[in-house]
Amino acid sequence: MESSGVQVAYKEVDVVTTGTFGAMCSSGAIINLGHADPPIKIQNAWLNDVPIPHPGAAVDLYIGATIGSETKPSEYGGAHVIEDLIRGKEVELRATAYGTDCYPRTRIETTLTKEDLNQFYLLNFRNGYQRYSCATNGRDETIYTYMGKLLPRYRNATYSGAGELNPLTNDPDYETIGLGTRIFLGGGQGYVIGEGTQHNPKSRLGTISVRGDAKKMSPEFIRGASFTNYGTSLYVGIGIPIPLLNEGIAKKASIRDEEIVTDIVDYGIPRRDKGAIRDTNYKELKSGRIDINGRDVKVTSLSSLKTAHKITETLKTWIEGASFYLSQHVEKLPTDTVFKPMKQTGETAFVESIVHEAVTCREDERIEEVAQRLVNRSVNHVVVVDGQGKLSGIVTSWDITKSIANGKKTLKDIIVRNVHTTSLNDPLETASRTLAQHNISALPVVDGERRVLGIVTSEDISRLLGGARSG
Amino acid sequence: MLRFSKEIVDRPITSQVILEQGTPVNILSAHMNQQGGEILVDIESAHADKVIKAFRDKGVTVDVRKLVEKDDDKCIDCGACVSICPMDALTFDEAHTVVLDEEKCNGITCGLCVDACTTRAIRLLG
Repeated sequence: MESSGVQVAYKEVDVVTTGTFGAMCSSGAIINLGHADPPIKIQNAWLNDVPIPHPGAAVDLYIGATIGSETKPSEYGGAHVIEDLIRGKEVELRATAYGTDCYPRTRIETTLTKEDLNQFYLLNFRNGYQRYSCATNGRDETIYTYMGKLLPRYRNATYSGAGELNPLTNDPDYETIGLGTRIFLGGGQGYVIGEGTQHNPKSRLGTISVRGDAKKMSPEFIRGASFTNYGTSLYVGIGIPIPLLNEGIAKKASIRDEEIVTDIVDYGIPRRDKGAIRDTNYKELKSGRIDINGRDVKVTSLSSLKTAHKITETLKTWIEGASFYLSQHVEKLPTDTVFKPMKQTGETAFVESIVHEAVTCREDERIEEVAQRLVNRSVNHVVVVDGQGKLSGIVTSWDITKSIANGKKTLKDIIVRNVHTTSLNDPLETASRTLAQHNISALPVVDGERRVLGIVTSEDISRLLGGARSG
Repeated sequence: MLRFSKEIVDRPITSQVILEQGTPVNILSAHMNQQGGEILVDIESAHADKVIKAFRDKGVTVDVRKLVEKDDDKCIDCGACVSICPMDALTFDEAHTVVLDEEKCNGITCGLCVDACTTRAIRLLG
């Protein structure tokens, strides 16, 4: 809808249908199994080897989308159990209990399909973000995130959400969408049951929680997904009709992709507040290319625009065919809640707190000079820098020992060029993870321009972490 | 995939074909011994017919294989693979469907998309 045509649209259009189909991690399903004979009060349960961490009273289970199976945690998870059940497949239940006078049974193993369940409904506590950040990665290595695989040094970017098709984006002040709004959910019908967790209306980052009968849903609109090295998630199709009750609502529902601003964020920064590289909008994102620090970067969605369109069309057909009735909400979504960070009682340590001066050398120095420096300064690592103090490699005492064994004569032959680094702002846990992942013992600390600021070693980290534990 | 029987495995057939046809043949993997062997090669599609005929004329068994396969039933058209692909072999068409151009794909020498796919719809072959 063009904004110039808002008046016309308001007169001629009754309802705008919106839709989105994206990975929504805060999703899951409630199932009720019915009672076994003799009955069991389930303490621990697994469905297709996926642990169910929070059983309800006796035979109610909540299948969380992101819980990975014990055998293949990032390939098959709760999300896939939900999809398999919707497909009508049989899933294996294994459960244990401590046994009580009224629930004497301590073990059960059986198979179930959705037809065997009393209730099977989707219950998602945070879905349908109004908009979302675009993710990229400034680090030197590929990272695997809930925003997909991000190649090193800004070689790609991903975003989520359907932009101008997104439900909450078309009703940004929550005038029609609220508790009790009937919606398209996963190919069936469901309801908005309130605001979602982390609902942040003031930053235009509203969310909803939803519920719907999963027995009537379709795998076309509910799909388990595997994010390598992150875990599993559930793709959820949501469509919400927005009745154009007045011209103001009509105007807001005419929002275009270029008006929906979001930010580009470096997911390579392992902190809560990553800052924004710059602002962008959904029109630019949907073009497939964005500029990041002067370079042309491919950007693609993680949510399917094709399925989002299909949802808006399906919902329209349902409404026209009177198989879907619009409902009025019984309570509005809050417009004043804030999204607070976690209260932390313990202190978190960062690289900044243990960094120390690096012993450095230049590429054209002789091996003997460098060896002398290692001995004099009692260190095992010498960082190789160029004329501007920028990182060009690292040499360890082990490299020098090897050079003697292999008869290598010049420093250039033994410098390790592919150096893993850290920055002052990295949490120690991240630095320690990098050391362990690559089986190395030190990381040069660099700034954004790769200037060497210092070094951290595994000894520094274990000393600090060990101290923290015993203290 | 080129299969060499015991009888022909000692002949320099691949070099002969390259020289005769004047076109590059990119060897992706090779397993050879006196009992025979297999070589997986990548041939420019424009010369494929000619090169395949040349190998067959010299007694080599040629299997034409795709390098990569996308299962369209599993694919949800999300696009997680699109920004990853350095060859622009994975793109969106006008209806926002993710399409794979097998001609552009580098196959097992790349494979960046495989673990980026959220529904494990992409498989490398060969």
